[in-house]
Amino acid sequence: MVDTAGLRLDQAPPLHLPLRLLLTAPVFAAVAGVLLMVWGDQVFASRWTPAALAATHLIVIGFLGQAMCGALLQMLPVVAGAPVPGVRWVAPLVHAALAAGALLVPAGFLGAGSWTLVLGSLSAALGFLVFAGAAAAALARARGAPATVLALRLAVLALVPTVAIGVTLVAALTGWLHLRGFGVWVSTHLTWGLFGWVGLLILGVAYQVVPMFHVTPAYPRVLVKTLAPVLFAGLLAISLSALSGAGDLAWMGQGMMALALALFALATLVLQRGRARPRRDATLLHWWTALGAGIGAAIGWWMQAPDLLLGTLLLVGVGVGLPSAMLLKIVPFLCWFHLQQRQVATGRFEVRVPHMHALVPEGAARWQWALHLTALIVLAAASANPRVSALGGSLLLLAALWLGVLLATAAWRYRSLRAALSVPVEQGQRVRGTGVP
Amino acid sequence: MDHILDARDLPPPEPMERTLDALAQMPAEDRLLLRLPRQPFPLFDLLSRLGYVWQVSGSEGDYRILIHLEGTPPAGP
Repeated sequence: MVDTAGLRLDQAPPLHLPLRLLLTAPVFAAVAGVLLMVWGDQVFASRWTPAALAATHLIVIGFLGQAMCGALLQMLPVVAGAPVPGVRWVAPLVHAALAAGALLVPAGFLGAGSWTLVLGSLSAALGFLVFAGAAAAALARARGAPATVLALRLAVLALVPTVAIGVTLVAALTGWLHLRGFGVWVSTHLTWGLFGWVGLLILGVAYQVVPMFHVTPAYPRVLVKTLAPVLFAGLLAISLSALSGAGDLAWMGQGMMALALALFALATLVLQRGRARPRRDATLLHWWTALGAGIGAAIGWWMQAPDLLLGTLLLVGVGVGLPSAMLLKIVPFLCWFHLQQRQVATGRFEVRVPHMHALVPEGAARWQWALHLTALIVLAAASANPRVSALGGSLLLLAALWLGVLLATAAWRYRSLRAALSVPVEQGQRVRGTGVP
Repeated sequence: MDHILDARDLPPPEPMERTLDALAQMPAEDRLLLRLPRQPFPLFDLLSRLGYVWQVSGSEGDYRILIHLEGTPPAGP
């Protein structure tokens, strides 16, 4: 609305399309929490254990994948003025395919059989590639917000090697083909997914939402122009290293990525420090936690900290934390916005649309952040002492369930208010005051 | 009488929420002076449907939007 910095909110898709992805995402983080409660000692024994691979894919396909695809379906038309073609069938298909992939891939790792793993990886690949195709078509027509559009284009591009290498690894695991340097390709798959798809997406989204929702100055022009290309160049260097075996190239690529992400994290912290409003809401606390985890991971990488600690900081700290921040802001905002639109369309101005903060109360959201932070600390400790992994898993489960409850409550209130706003005018007097301010 | 709402430092959607609250609470003959960093185009759509009219002055970074009910002659400054 008022100061949405050039956003075209009238081009937003119907709410139920992004909402189905955004609302189911926490379920998969909750399942990852259960997995950590049951097999936590195996998850933290090595990054190569089936349980560790299962937990990782529950988070990256189920939670991150669904949250990010849902958010982009909403953001692309609004930020870039580029509606996603076929969004009415793309959204349900991506939702179903990612949900199936997020359940079958971990099940396959945990012993449900190679066909389960194959089916799961193909399902996830279908979901991501359909999304990438639709998003690429939208981004090809994008105008405005050039730094965001560039970062989003590179993020969507990074999905392709992530998926291609992932499917190839499953084919190798199930004996369909022989792959030399399996471990190197696993790392390359992880790097494209975590730093390419997720990292670039975070950059592109942050350039818009941090100044808007935290009322900060814009990111420095030199940073928004260079960070995404430097990050992408680092990814290319790592891939060339995997193909050629040149170790120096991989080290250089990792350094470029660590530098770009650390600079982004520091710039974001500086901007948020200079925000116009001193209030520290749950979204801001989530941002700080995720940025702290990201900076910790960059320092840890420099100091050659254990992979399991780096993975926990990146997957739980950044990969669960930042989408949680986004979900706590975007879901109530979208519910509020669509209610306003509905009110304008029906003329039912006697029905009071609640404030956005009434849809997800701040105190409840802060509890969610506190649960997440505690889960992150305990799970980081579990990388050194796996005996606390069950506790960490239960905290992650609670944080995810609480997030899901908060979002579902906002969506439920949206539905009931939307129904009140849709009552014909003659009956309208009876619904006066339905909305809660 | 005039009421002033300085919403320049508020994140979305608080400026719209507070504007609608202020309009709902003030007497019909009063006016609301809203200060914002950008022109609130979505708000204009809503205001016209609610029967309000407005005048915009200022520039990027500090717009001033004077809002009053249609048919109510704006009082002096």
